[in-house]
Amino acid sequence: MSDNATAAVGRRPLAALAEGRGKPAAIALLAAVAVLYPVAFPNQANVDSLANAAIYAALALGLNIVVGFTGLLDLGYAAFFAIGAYAYGILNSFQLHPAWGPFWVPLQHLGLVMPFPGNSGGTVVHFTLSFWIALPLAAVISAGCGMAFGAPTLRLRGDYLAIVTLGFGEIVPIVFRNWSSLTNGAAGLNGVGAPVLLGHSFGVNAIPYYYVAIALVAFLIFASLRLRDSRIGRAWMAIREDEIAAGAMGVNRTRFKLLAFATGAAFAGATGVVFIAKLQTATPDMFDFPVSVMILVMIVFGGIGSVWGAVAGAMILQLLQSWWLPDLSGLVDGLGRLLGSRWLASVDLTQSTELIFGIILVVMMLYRRQGLIPAHRPQAALSFEAQHAVVQRGFGELRLSGLAGDVAAGTPALQVRGVTVAFGGLKALDAVSIDVPSGGVVAVIGPNGSGKSTLFNVITGLVPANGGSIRFRGEEILGLHDHQILARGIARTFQNIRLFPTLTVLQNVLVGQHARLSTSLFGAVFRPPRTRREEQAALDWAREVIAIFGNRLAPRLGQAVGGLSYANRRRTEIARALASRPKLLLLDEPTAGMNPAETLELAEQIRGLKSLGLTVLLIEHKLDVVTQLADTVYVLDHGEIIAHGTPAEVRRNEDVLRAYLGRNAQAAAAGIAGGGDAT
Amino acid sequence: MITRRAAAQLLASTAAAATLGAGPALAADKVIVIGVDLPLTGADAQGAIRILHGAQLVFDQANDANAVPGYTFKLAVMNDATATAGQYDPAQAATNARKMVSDHGLVAAIGPEMSGSGKAMAPILSEGGLATITPASTNPDITNPKFAAEFMPAGKAIYFRTVTTDAFQGPEMTMFMAKKLGVKSVYILDDSGAYGVGLADAFEGQAKKIGMKVMGRDRLDPKNADYTTTLTKIKAANPQALYFGGVDEAGVKLVKQAYQIIPKMIKGGGDGMVAPDILTAAGFPAAQGWYATIAAPHLVGDPKSQGVIRAYKAKFGIGPDDYALTAYDAGLIIIGAVKTLIAEKKPINKATMRDAIAASKTPTLQGVVEFDKYGDMKSHIVSVYQIREDKSKPLDDMIAQYHYLGPAPQV
Amino acid sequence: MSFSSLLLQQTINGMSLGAMYALLALGFTLIYGILELINFAHFNVFMMGSFLALWVLQGFGLTGQTVILTGLPLIGVLVAALIVTMFGTGVLGVVIERVTLRPLRGITGPAAMITTIGVSYVLFNIILLLTSAQTLNFPNPLPQLQWQVHGAIVTLPEVLIWLVAPLLMTGLWAFVQKSRLGKAMRATAQDPEAARMMGVEVDKVIMTAFFLGSALAGAGGMIFGLYYNFTSFLIGFTAGLRAFTAAVLGGIGNVPGAMVGGFAIGLIEAYSGQFIATEWSDVIIFSILVLVLVFRPAGLFGRLAPSKS
Repeated sequence: MSDNATAAVGRRPLAALAEGRGKPAAIALLAAVAVLYPVAFPNQANVDSLANAAIYAALALGLNIVVGFTGLLDLGYAAFFAIGAYAYGILNSFQLHPAWGPFWVPLQHLGLVMPFPGNSGGTVVHFTLSFWIALPLAAVISAGCGMAFGAPTLRLRGDYLAIVTLGFGEIVPIVFRNWSSLTNGAAGLNGVGAPVLLGHSFGVNAIPYYYVAIALVAFLIFASLRLRDSRIGRAWMAIREDEIAAGAMGVNRTRFKLLAFATGAAFAGATGVVFIAKLQTATPDMFDFPVSVMILVMIVFGGIGSVWGAVAGAMILQLLQSWWLPDLSGLVDGLGRLLGSRWLASVDLTQSTELIFGIILVVMMLYRRQGLIPAHRPQAALSFEAQHAVVQRGFGELRLSGLAGDVAAGTPALQVRGVTVAFGGLKALDAVSIDVPSGGVVAVIGPNGSGKSTLFNVITGLVPANGGSIRFRGEEILGLHDHQILARGIARTFQNIRLFPTLTVLQNVLVGQHARLSTSLFGAVFRPPRTRREEQAALDWAREVIAIFGNRLAPRLGQAVGGLSYANRRRTEIARALASRPKLLLLDEPTAGMNPAETLELAEQIRGLKSLGLTVLLIEHKLDVVTQLADTVYVLDHGEIIAHGTPAEVRRNEDVLRAYLGRNAQAAAAGIAGGGDAT
Repeated sequence: MITRRAAAQLLASTAAAATLGAGPALAADKVIVIGVDLPLTGADAQGAIRILHGAQLVFDQANDANAVPGYTFKLAVMNDATATAGQYDPAQAATNARKMVSDHGLVAAIGPEMSGSGKAMAPILSEGGLATITPASTNPDITNPKFAAEFMPAGKAIYFRTVTTDAFQGPEMTMFMAKKLGVKSVYILDDSGAYGVGLADAFEGQAKKIGMKVMGRDRLDPKNADYTTTLTKIKAANPQALYFGGVDEAGVKLVKQAYQIIPKMIKGGGDGMVAPDILTAAGFPAAQGWYATIAAPHLVGDPKSQGVIRAYKAKFGIGPDDYALTAYDAGLIIIGAVKTLIAEKKPINKATMRDAIAASKTPTLQGVVEFDKYGDMKSHIVSVYQIREDKSKPLDDMIAQYHYLGPAPQV
Repeated sequence: MSFSSLLLQQTINGMSLGAMYALLALGFTLIYGILELINFAHFNVFMMGSFLALWVLQGFGLTGQTVILTGLPLIGVLVAALIVTMFGTGVLGVVIERVTLRPLRGITGPAAMITTIGVSYVLFNIILLLTSAQTLNFPNPLPQLQWQVHGAIVTLPEVLIWLVAPLLMTGLWAFVQKSRLGKAMRATAQDPEAARMMGVEVDKVIMTAFFLGSALAGAGGMIFGLYYNFTSFLIGFTAGLRAFTAAVLGGIGNVPGAMVGGFAIGLIEAYSGQFIATEWSDVIIFSILVLVLVFRPAGLFGRLAPSKS
């Protein structure tokens, strides 16, 4: 996604469909072709193939949310397709026929059931749930199943999740096969009702189903694009890119993974209804493992994470199987007759279609690895001017508001008391206590492995403590989840930079605001004015934050951060943390890897933040930076605080010198006194 | 090297040629196109390819012998399996049905193999007025009058079968086991498929009705290789007989492993077990003694069917199974219907073919087949066979190795 | 049949199944451990192995179960067939890696996995077309020996499977632990970048992993054929899926875990078939898997190599 799409969102609601210039025209053309095709070529078989392909496109869009956006490898997606399909199939067929009674009368008025003469005399219930009600209902049922299945399993990582979902995908058709009284077992459902619109049944005419299917696909494309460019989509992509960083930026991982899973399941559930209504039967065999795998193949083929790619991948692979390859025999035979080759004219490729399909798949993966329509396009290089522009330092015109918070400077912001963290037998932190006053800058120094990053991790909820207490503005935060701690106002950066590499600078910074935004699933898709205002405000704030770094980041808003220079990645990470409007900012070696000029620049920027009232807790090796910035310095060694005080006091402390610099203390002391780099 | 543009032009001209239909070699004869819908790839390919060969054989023979002067039969073979489903795909079957219906030259069809495909195809074929004859799908629902509104909405039968439904084959085997073999307790297995489950259910229903003790019922996964667990369970339950509803895919493995674990037990199955695989892949001594049924009268030493089996083997290198022969029969009925129409000087189109098939009295390998008004065969005779090795004949000579015992007692 | 002998018989059944799953699971685990790739082609490399073995045995003039060999000829034929099969599938694995997977190395996401699915389709359909989708009788030159043990029956193929499978597995284990290349493999699994910098030829290591994993799958395919006396183009799927489940259950990437996982799945299948119903076996296997993973997210034995995320 490019930044102008995001930027355009607030101004033009329909611009969500557009990924760049010329897109609206292309989409209008595509829509026109889709609508007019059956009118121009009313061949029932081809229209039916297209309708099936559209159904798989809808499934691919759903799976794309789970796998493409959120990065959860799901190998059992067809299970949700099956659940939606059977939900409609059972509620609009003769499969269940309980005896008629007064209980059913109100439902009859709603058109959900009707009385029917039973086989063995008496009256039974015939379920006649309308297709149009079934669409959302099946989506809800499937989403519910997705949540129920996802809740215990979604904390599993990568391939473990894959195998568990695969198991779920195996189990669901087996249940439908064995639970004959509900599903008619292996023989399949009989006579599932066709949709009725304005009194006309769709019957077996492929064309109305085609229109329903492409309408569904159009809606799902719209929803996918809207979701992708919203707070929710950004949270999903953040989880995909780096779960730890996503949590640290306030994304409730469990909740958003479940949401992705449920949304994907809902897409599949609604699609199942269309599929079954068109076929008027359902057998458990239609939802076996190969279906799940093929939907995954479709999105990878199209370009994983790409909405248009999912649609293209599904349409092409499905039409290849059901339309083009079956016609290949005819083409080859025709060629044979044309060339007068008897062998070619009599060749029958019907049995070889799957072989050819497999070969196409392998070749395609080899020669177009990122899929047909990659989600991330190569970035345009910066212009010469942008690259060589004079560095402007932005904090002079800083207008960041609201960082100071609502408490007086000097009151305690963070109080760490006796915190102990042990990994196995090793104590990474041993009864550590630290005080950070509001509006102050506190630095933590210490040799490598002394527990500095562990301290940050325990404050931000990444590692559990074995004892002690951490109070933030008087509230105990030990035991809270990482995203809850961010929401309370503590944001951090990481020692080894954890950005979301394929997201742009702007998107990274927008993820930082996650906890401060409230857009719901509904809001993200339909964008009521409130959401639009929120999104616009988020964009404005992101630009404001990025402006601290002057023109370092501003011209690179639309670039994926993976391709930025090291210093710019550091800056982006700080901007991302600032975007969350923290009251306390934790910086883990912010100047590591920067040259002296850049270090100086960043130090000035941090001081600028301090002057705005932001409280900062800093891990830093460059002692001159510490001296410049910090009011108080704590020294950690082997997980214990061995000294604290002003930078000047700490410098004189002999314990510090010994611990920090080893035996050659004298020489080292000279080095520190000279303001040299201790690393 | 061919440039891309040249390749595109070539493809375009080929496409044009393909749509023009038959080439000059066939121009003299009028072409009658018969649709065939089968799951030719994926997990169901084994049976489907045999059925396809049965259909190919009958029409090739008719063309070679010029059985209908002035006309040539041409098969439009469609695969209803997709890589997406990994096996038969009812959605593709429905597409194929629409393809057949919208093809004006196509006047009748053979298939499908699987009832799941049949359920998706039947309403479309009914609205399109195209008759199909299935050589293999035996689920009774499709021709059940109770579901007539769903599966034959246009009112006339279009789904004909050259096999009887599970509703007769299973129960008559129950009666055979009870009366002729004195079986009082039985263990029932199926192979998870619609055919196998339906057959086993019908057998079980009749067994319960006549007081035969059902010691257990289990389901085999045809894709699994190992049935020793289930067979050990059966051994422990110690019934007099084992009945298996299913086709040879699971059947071959069952026969092999049952021989190891329950060699002495009476074992039987339906027409799914009348397959050369049982003789060649399971082989002797494992297959020795198994009972199987064919849902048709036995044709005692009929040279015609022996000739067909020989011709089939010669042409395709593998032996036909029961459904390959019922597909051959379906072809004979279609050819018979064409002949009738020509004799009556009626046009040959979908509607006249449907009526001619419905009224068919064509002699086939299983005798004269007549259909009831829903498309099922009128004859409900079930013949019982036992596999007994005849070392003087080839291993896959089904007529020699399947020993005819007589018709099963009717229910 | 008394209950205790029934239980023993089902245990024997489960152990034989489990040995086969374990052998297949090793291939998954080996390749996963190094590339973090779920290799779906493995399913059908196993299937190809059974066909290679079939053709070799037929080449020795064996058909069906009619020719019984004993003594040295038996051992000679079996060892020759095993070597040819393992070498053949090993080479097949290397070719798959070299042609279809190496160009995708370093691409994140499931692209490589999808490629293996494509390869799997190709192998499956080649055999489908070559055999006209027939189930084939697998030659079995083993004498029909069986022994009564406490009311249960043990057959010669079962004894062989219990001997050969652990032998191959121990061989692999020793190779990975002791040999230079094995150590390079473990190093690559831990951290491919560091391994490369330390002079490990990562390409060679990956090829070795594919060769060994595929050769083991080939051995599995031959043992499958001898044990069940049949083969068909379809055998890869269920066995492959169970074996993959076994690998995950044990802790994917972990060689002893794959063995234990394989036996566990075999026993679960046998016991659930006996005491519940075969039609629910898959449901039970996967439910146990989910439960194990929920409480032990890295499988029973965890991964040897830390996750690279």
